Amino acid sequence: MVKYSYYPGNVARQASQEVEDTIQPLAKSLGIELIEMIGYSSDGGDIIKQGNPELQLALNARNFAIAQRNGHNIITPCASAQGIMFEALTTLQNDPIALAKTNRVLEDTTGMTLDPSTLETNHLLHILVDEIGLDKVEAAVVNQLDLDIACYYGPHMQREGACGNDDVWNPNYMEKLITALGGRPVDFPSKTMSVGNPSLLTLGESVMKMTAKVLADSKKAGAQVLVSACTLSHYNLDSYQGKAGRIAKLDTALPVVNLTEIIAFALGHHIDRFAQLRTRALIIGS
Amino acid sequence: MPTITKVWIEEDCITCDACEDILPEVFSITDDSSFIKAEVREDGKFDRNTGFSMIKPEFRAEYSDIIEEAAEACPVEIIKFEYEAVEADGAPATPVEEIVEATPVAIETSADDGVLAGVLAGDRSLAVFFGSQTGNAAGLAEKTVKMAANFGLDASVIDMDGYDQSRLSSHKRVLIITSTWGEGEMPDNAESLWIATCASNPSLSGIHYSICAIGDTSYDEYCKAGHDWDGKFSDLGATCIQAIQECDVDFDEPWAQWVDQVLPRIACVDADGVFQEELVEAMIAYGAGDEEVPADDGDFSPGQIEQPEISLTLKIFRYDPIKAQSGYDTVACVLPGHATIQDALIAIAREIDGSLTFNQGQIGGLSPLTGLKANGRIVSADTMRLCDLVAADGTLTLEPLPGYEVVKDLMVSYDRYDTDRANSKPWMVADPRQGERLASGAPMGVMASAKATALHAMADVGGLQMINSMSDTYMVDDNYSGPGLNLQRWVRSQDPRSGSGHQRSMFDLLQKNGGVWDEADISSIYRHGIDGAQAADALYAARARLLAEFKFTGKPGRMVKGYSRSVKLTGNVNETSLYRSVLGPLGLGSNIMNGVSLRMMLGFTRNGGPMMRGFQGMLAPPAGIGKIPDMINFKVDNHHEIVAIFNKLDRRF
Repeated sequence: MVKYSYYPGNVARQASQEVEDTIQPLAKSLGIELIEMIGYSSDGGDIIKQGNPELQLALNARNFAIAQRNGHNIITPCASAQGIMFEALTTLQNDPIALAKTNRVLEDTTGMTLDPSTLETNHLLHILVDEIGLDKVEAAVVNQLDLDIACYYGPHMQREGACGNDDVWNPNYMEKLITALGGRPVDFPSKTMSVGNPSLLTLGESVMKMTAKVLADSKKAGAQVLVSACTLSHYNLDSYQGKAGRIAKLDTALPVVNLTEIIAFALGHHIDRFAQLRTRALIIGS
Repeated sequence: MPTITKVWIEEDCITCDACEDILPEVFSITDDSSFIKAEVREDGKFDRNTGFSMIKPEFRAEYSDIIEEAAEACPVEIIKFEYEAVEADGAPATPVEEIVEATPVAIETSADDGVLAGVLAGDRSLAVFFGSQTGNAAGLAEKTVKMAANFGLDASVIDMDGYDQSRLSSHKRVLIITSTWGEGEMPDNAESLWIATCASNPSLSGIHYSICAIGDTSYDEYCKAGHDWDGKFSDLGATCIQAIQECDVDFDEPWAQWVDQVLPRIACVDADGVFQEELVEAMIAYGAGDEEVPADDGDFSPGQIEQPEISLTLKIFRYDPIKAQSGYDTVACVLPGHATIQDALIAIAREIDGSLTFNQGQIGGLSPLTGLKANGRIVSADTMRLCDLVAADGTLTLEPLPGYEVVKDLMVSYDRYDTDRANSKPWMVADPRQGERLASGAPMGVMASAKATALHAMADVGGLQMINSMSDTYMVDDNYSGPGLNLQRWVRSQDPRSGSGHQRSMFDLLQKNGGVWDEADISSIYRHGIDGAQAADALYAARARLLAEFKFTGKPGRMVKGYSRSVKLTGNVNETSLYRSVLGPLGLGSNIMNGVSLRMMLGFTRNGGPMMRGFQGMLAPPAGIGKIPDMINFKVDNHHEIVAIFNKLDRRF
């Protein structure tokens, strides 16, 4: 078993319980032990940063210190969380003044201090491809996906150093993973574009247009299902897809699932949900 | 009358049957190409005869004229032949050992190069191929290329991996440095080129070459890969200019001996491909240089500007404004890796399609107006090198800069940016004038050097027009001024020389529609390199200042405050309460009307989760409607630490 400190992100244990439902069994199937980060908090979602960047940095530093106390690098199922944590960790690793200031706050408030030099944050996707290996994933498949699947990465973790060894601008790790799971990846041009999730509640039309573009592009490319590596973006792509389609006047009707769900389905977990997804894909996604 | 001794078919036969119609005894059309019949060949094979087998003597006189006729009739001119060499008296030359005297070259007297002027003129390319398993041969190839410059050679390192075999014969000067792997096998990166070369056996008669073979004498097949290449080049008609050099595991010394000898010799192959052997001594002296050559000064090492050629596919967006039609042109090409995108576009416009339209920089250095989207990145076409964007045999997709109106093909209009900028007046407006003093006695209109440096650093980006296009929001929101212009506004608002009225107007512009809150996702900007990160940081800084300035009013203010308070209260965000506080009752009502709430409620049922989770959102007041499993967050462990961090850093929440 390989061990990681597990950071669920902002919604896996809140609005998007399906992520938590699926990451736990898939991790067991693939020999990954998810170690709880006792007392972890929100990473600030880049919302707190808008009011006070130092506050968001300190909240992340506390989470890092908890992971370090566990003795394991961090894994998360959310691309936004990975992007936010990577940025905070990079700041703490490269800016000694910021580190000293943050450590003073941490020590005063938690009694902990952080040595960020050896810590890493990872998205589940990059761990599966770079560490676990697609051959092992493929060997664990119970139910071949057998669907045309578009892969959505979003912009947050698509930056140098944050996305493993994947290509920042034209990533293909998820496509390789889907192939290993017995699915047929569908390439589409907007797979790293933003759907505007941070402004979902504050901006109307532009966020809906951005959401609609991703959905329409993937559907136009022939996808039956869209898989999102970002649990926050999934919110836009799923719950808001009808509204987005009406505003942008685009065909956006497409089943959208989180990456953890599709992996778990292929590995034989929640077969009833997989059956429902296949039905929806056949009716809606083609 | 000389007769034709060899005839062969080059690549790209269109199987038009013309040759077979004219001379069916020699030519036979197959599905892929015309072949030379076995009956007339000395080797008895039936193929294109790229191994250059002789025509049997009894057929030469009979068929020579007709072969010529067939070659002339070939529409793609791929039938090639060779005459028997003839002595001056008309008798066939002795075909044994042909000693070719170098053609005397017209050597122009030059103050710089003396007798070498002729050989140093024209094409001076040298291809240094490497076949490398562990990197040793690749390293030697790099060193060889650097040394070749001393002999006036324009040398390139070429990785055999992925190299297009059909281009091999286009070289005049070739050096191969290769290791041998396993039991006499080619290194992995050389395998495909070796197989392709053996399969097609192209004529390499125009090449002068030499081999440096690295091996290990403890193996039976010592340096076999090098010998294989040596034999193959020789068989295909290439001229060996320096005998193969074998190198054992201590390869540095024998390689150095080989390169010292081979470079001046291969440098004496002139632009016509003729080896000027009598100039070798002069070339050795030329390569040794003179005392005026600056010595190596230690730490300084100039960057390598030239990069190997890249085979790539260019996919170029085209838009015809008259027909209102758009699409993509695809062009397969080979270009130097160090060429810029603009170089490539100019070459395509010159060689293939003169109607291709794009913004072109008129001066050296970066011009933001040449910006475009290249494989998803926002780049300046006049400075971005191809080798930094695409790997060999890759595809480079070029599209116009997003967010601006496309005029034609890759050319966009910057009217949108210009108009927004003019309307917001983000230039310096000092108030009062320089020379007057504040109440404190400090002079107005000037600023401390540290502040000036900080402001300049903040604004030091490649081009604000390009910064705008880094935002995924800019292309969908016509009213948004973009991160570039907002960066400029922010910098101006922070300029202490600006009058207070002007600073206020900048804050207002940043706060209202079109300002920084119209950016839907700053992370889409952040990933665009240093410039993107700089603009993103400026947006965050501006937002933090505006929240304080405008006291968390409006949806963005309520969002930041609600989110922060939720985290302070429990350690995690409670989206249920966040929805309510940001959208208010009307917003929630809107979600019910447009189906969002229904999708939220059914969010868990669509994939088979318990429906009760969804119904909670409908049934459990005071929470609003949402895809929320828990209406009230439980506090995280050690929650007091979170509160303490908030209290320490920001008591507003």
